[in-house]
Amino acid sequence: MFKDIKYLILSMLTVFKHLFKKPVTLEYPEKRNIPPENFRGKPVVENCKCCGICTRVCPSGAITIDKENKVFKIDLKKCIFCGNCAYYCPHGAIKMSKEYELGTKEKEALVLNYKIGGADERN
Amino acid sequence: MSKLKLNLGPQHPSTHGVLRLILELDGEKIISCEPDVGYLHRGMEKMAEKLTYIQYLPLVDRIDYLAGFFYSELLCRTVEKALEIELSPRVKAIRVLLLELNRIASHLLWIGAFLMDLGAVSPFFYAFREREIILQYFEKISGQRMMNNYFVFGGVRRDIGYLEDVENFLKILPDKVNDYEKLITENPIFLQRTKGKGVLDKKTAFNFAITGVNLRASGVSLDFRKGDYLYKDFEFTPVVLEEGDSWARYKARVMEIRESAKIAAQALEILKREKSIEQTLINPLTLKLPEGEYFQEIEAPRGLASIYVKSTGDSKPYRLKWRTGSYYSVNLLRKILKGAYLNDAIAISGSLDIILPEVDK
Amino acid sequence: MNYLYFLYIEFLAKHNIPQLFGDITFYVIPCCIIFAALLIVVLALVLFERKLLGWFTQRKGPNRVGFWGLLQTLADAFKLLCKENITPKGADRFLFNLAPIIIFVPVMVALGLIPYSSEFTFMNFQTNLLIFIVIGAMPVLSILLAGWASNNKYSLFGAMRSVSQILAYELPIAFVILSVAVLASSLNLSQITLAQSSAKGIFGWFGIPCFIGFVIMFICVIAELNRCPFDLPEAESELICGYNTEYSGMRFAIFYLSEYALLFANALLLAVLFLGGYLSPFGKYLSPMIFPPEIGSILVYFEQAFWLFAKSFLIIFVIIWIRATLPRLAAFDLLKFSWACLLPLSILNLFLMVILKYLTGGGYV
Repeated sequence: MFKDIKYLILSMLTVFKHLFKKPVTLEYPEKRNIPPENFRGKPVVENCKCCGICTRVCPSGAITIDKENKVFKIDLKKCIFCGNCAYYCPHGAIKMSKEYELGTKEKEALVLNYKIGGADERN
Repeated sequence: MSKLKLNLGPQHPSTHGVLRLILELDGEKIISCEPDVGYLHRGMEKMAEKLTYIQYLPLVDRIDYLAGFFYSELLCRTVEKALEIELSPRVKAIRVLLLELNRIASHLLWIGAFLMDLGAVSPFFYAFREREIILQYFEKISGQRMMNNYFVFGGVRRDIGYLEDVENFLKILPDKVNDYEKLITENPIFLQRTKGKGVLDKKTAFNFAITGVNLRASGVSLDFRKGDYLYKDFEFTPVVLEEGDSWARYKARVMEIRESAKIAAQALEILKREKSIEQTLINPLTLKLPEGEYFQEIEAPRGLASIYVKSTGDSKPYRLKWRTGSYYSVNLLRKILKGAYLNDAIAISGSLDIILPEVDK
Repeated sequence: MNYLYFLYIEFLAKHNIPQLFGDITFYVIPCCIIFAALLIVVLALVLFERKLLGWFTQRKGPNRVGFWGLLQTLADAFKLLCKENITPKGADRFLFNLAPIIIFVPVMVALGLIPYSSEFTFMNFQTNLLIFIVIGAMPVLSILLAGWASNNKYSLFGAMRSVSQILAYELPIAFVILSVAVLASSLNLSQITLAQSSAKGIFGWFGIPCFIGFVIMFICVIAELNRCPFDLPEAESELICGYNTEYSGMRFAIFYLSEYALLFANALLLAVLFLGGYLSPFGKYLSPMIFPPEIGSILVYFEQAFWLFAKSFLIIFVIIWIRATLPRLAAFDLLKFSWACLLPLSILNLFLMVILKYLTGGGYV
């Protein structure tokens, strides 16, 4: 009986201790965590050599390379941000950027079109 | 005697996902329980047949999103064993460190969720606070918090860094776990809810193929980390408790957090010693497994996880099967919930640490 | 109260309004005041709880709507107001709609029975305390109706648990209240408050001789309010939301708000019974000492109300603190705890108080 009361009070004091600690939550839109160096956000393509390895390692088939029109397409609706393409690209052409707020109102904006051999360009 | 049929789930706050339990009740006493799984089926095994090993590797994290590293480790290990790739000591230490951190994170979440099932609010947030440190560390090294995709065949994606983060975390962890223990372990209400409830004896546990902490809390010293080649150089004692009730399962997990922290500390020591990282790089286009059957197993947070791969010498597996710990725990509910009361049922099913994506695969 | 009544009649007489009008309206005005005050207090309480729970768990709590999150509850209530009221298929329509209405009435009556200051009790009957206890147990009727009418098994479970819980915890409350009545030799809340007044301030309160009773009453009040660790009727991890699972929109809001109103009413009762009600903890009121006498004599009433509110908020703070800490009891342990532990203790407490009263010669202190 007294042991029970002792432990009840002990546990209540443990909670009470936290009343004076600083909150650990971040108020998101104003304050945010800085993404770390290796963060896997939106993929960015530069200097693609059209070897096609990325299309073969992509698990969800999000990447298509149009060799005729020289367009490199990444469908963010399919992309799972696994980073396989960036890791296996022999030329280091694909990089995962730190951008992660990709929500948008238009479906088309989620398909990234990069020009091969030129400056990158977004649709 | 009239029976009341109650549908617990698939949408229910305490089934941790989409588990459906068809309960037959007499008053609040459970006469029979029929678990119905499959609401989260994603075809993980069938998907493997259509994808190359390299394509399949990122998806494997999603089998158990709370302990993704274990499943990537399993697949990596299968391929490494098949291709006879030797890992360097640093890579091994990195893997052990991450696996153990992941185990800690998984158990922390379980503590929070279990106490939430029992109606306590605070431990949930406290446990998440510590888990957050681990997840942020994972984000730093691998790029994402839960779907890490950090292990690759033959090594890891990039050399590990930020070791001082882990060191600081391991320093504060014992204090925080002490806090949980003060808050929970001897709390009379918690004892009332868990002591002697949902007792799982050795024989039933063996019959239902229960592994992992749930088995060790029933007095069986069976830890697949002993004998695992990754853990060969590490010293640890498997946590074994005799009672086999919900409380023992809780206590065993808390003790295992401490034990895992010790293993992680040993891995840190090795990482400080072994500076050179040698990895076998694999050509993604020519990766093929030799014809044959492969089987690997590992001690995941929710019991034994194992993989079976049948290869025809192609770049894709012919058949791939997973064994996950939670699946057997769900099956156990059939037996263990019989005769329990409704509110104990929640506590018991919570104490088994069932996670549904792992069950449904 | 008579003082206020004469003031009111006098005021009306000055403006040539017949006394009959005053007689009728005099009892309507307090109801309106209670209702307005209740809404404000309840909205504040919801915020208070959420903030505290946030701080206990190292979060910030609501801080977006309005300054420091002050308008959060208002925004929530407004959102609920805009939502559709759904009556589930197969539900008993009449009872389903009746239940939320019933729950709010007893709370309002109960709040009218509390002496907020020495001159300010809306309904001052000789047996205030008894009426309060009878009325305070009435919300369970609404809970039973809600659970039964919802045509949902979880709701039914919640309602049944609630009834058995109330039955188990009303009895210890009755015995504790008897012991307080013995100490004060009265069933009137104003007189109970006055019986606790002494020059020693805090040492005159019944919470000190009747400490066991205070703890028992405290536990029982938590149980009666269906709050953690006794929140079985709406155990969210077991019964989803218990008796109000099927309620949506404003009906749910009424359940939600009445819960807090009841919490407030019961905290007030606890403060009156054991913590000296509106009495100052220092034995003397502070306002006559600080302010000049002519303002001070009026400010005393406000100070009395302040003390009462401060005490009740202290009690509410502890209740929220308990909620943040403890897990939920199991249904059968809960009943066992009441019948096997609280009830004998409360009877023992009654004996002790009678003996104390006898030894102190009819007047405690």
